[in-house]
Amino acid sequence: MSELTSNLLPATNEDTCGPYFPIYFADPALEDLTRFDPGVVGQAAGTPIILRGRVLDRHGDLANGALLEFWQANAKGVYRTPATEGEDDVDPWFHGYGRLRTASGAYGYRTILPGAAPGRAPNITLTIFSDGINRIVTQIFFEGQTGNDTDPVLLSVGAEAPKLIAKHDGRTAGGCEVYLFDVVMAGPGETPFFDDLES
Amino acid sequence: MGKHGRVLGIGPTDNTSDQRTPRQPLRLIPEVARSSFVPVVPARYVTNPHEWDMTRTAPDRPRADGVPIEVTGRVCTASGRPVPNALLEIWSANLYGRYRHIEDHSGLRLDENHLGMGRVLTDDEGRYRFWAISPGAYLARPDIGRWRPKHIHMSISGGASRMITQMYFPDEPNNASDPMAILMGDAFERNIGKPRDPGGTDVEEGYDFDIVIGGRNATFFE
Repeated sequence: MSELTSNLLPATNEDTCGPYFPIYFADPALEDLTRFDPGVVGQAAGTPIILRGRVLDRHGDLANGALLEFWQANAKGVYRTPATEGEDDVDPWFHGYGRLRTASGAYGYRTILPGAAPGRAPNITLTIFSDGINRIVTQIFFEGQTGNDTDPVLLSVGAEAPKLIAKHDGRTAGGCEVYLFDVVMAGPGETPFFDDLES
Repeated sequence: MGKHGRVLGIGPTDNTSDQRTPRQPLRLIPEVARSSFVPVVPARYVTNPHEWDMTRTAPDRPRADGVPIEVTGRVCTASGRPVPNALLEIWSANLYGRYRHIEDHSGLRLDENHLGMGRVLTDDEGRYRFWAISPGAYLARPDIGRWRPKHIHMSISGGASRMITQMYFPDEPNNASDPMAILMGDAFERNIGKPRDPGGTDVEEGYDFDIVIGGRNATFFE
């Protein structure tokens, strides 16, 4: 896929979002995928969860101002993409894309527990943009799910798999199961991040 | 385990980059899991139709200080396919290098006629247009005298295409010492807006900035 041997246009470089991604661009509907506007009848199918945690730098300090984006399948394990358009198991009330900016570096994201896509354990893709980096990407899995033992992404990181598994914190809050997931961007305990280029 | 992905570069003189850049090589995504890593952003919309004109805070308000510019371009994938109905979120400093952001503690001058934040959508051909104030450079590292060159931030999301980038300006003295520009190397050229005649529009400068979303931002659902 080298640019020398393909007709592909040279891509614009990614760049850091810097420290000032506008809070003004926040969209409450993307920070809570179980949320509905007042007076609207509708409900995403599945088990509501809160994913809570911290984004930490290589000194263990909170990574303030990080922009977090989430992507997942619905409760039946189906992603809403052009490829699944019209399928019965697409949930009309769940698109699976979320985004929030954390001022402090601690976050809480409300969604539904994803279902298992074929051959996969339930997971949420997490993309992090922040000052000092372009983007880093990983997947979050859930403690106790069948399929964790055979998931190709978890298997690919070997002994580091526990770093990608959110722990149930033993309680519910506001009707949601609470899961905890910390991200270590760099240094000791660093979270495995993924690249889709062979380079 | 076989091959690894890239080792991410750390921006020279950028403390935050040192604190936040993963040190381990990135892992390659197993082939069967690749599509699961590509978010498909639901269709977005622009809430405030006047936001394309960032040279004022509202249509009935005066112009902000500085040189008003028009930025136009086309968003496409590496194969040249336009990305229609993509949301561009745009933010930039004012003439004095200050962001109207609660966490900007630089103390630089605010301009009561400058918001510096706007949103536009691309049309069916992937084209976009907005007006802005040509932003000021600012001293990012007073301790070593490093400036951030003038730049406009853009976040693009449409379908399976996602990118956050910055448009820089040609021949700026601080371009060469910018940590992220250094990491881009020769490819930094691609992130510089191309000056053009602004035509009959009510701005003083025009720039073309085409955005190609490719590489690891590949569009999987074209």
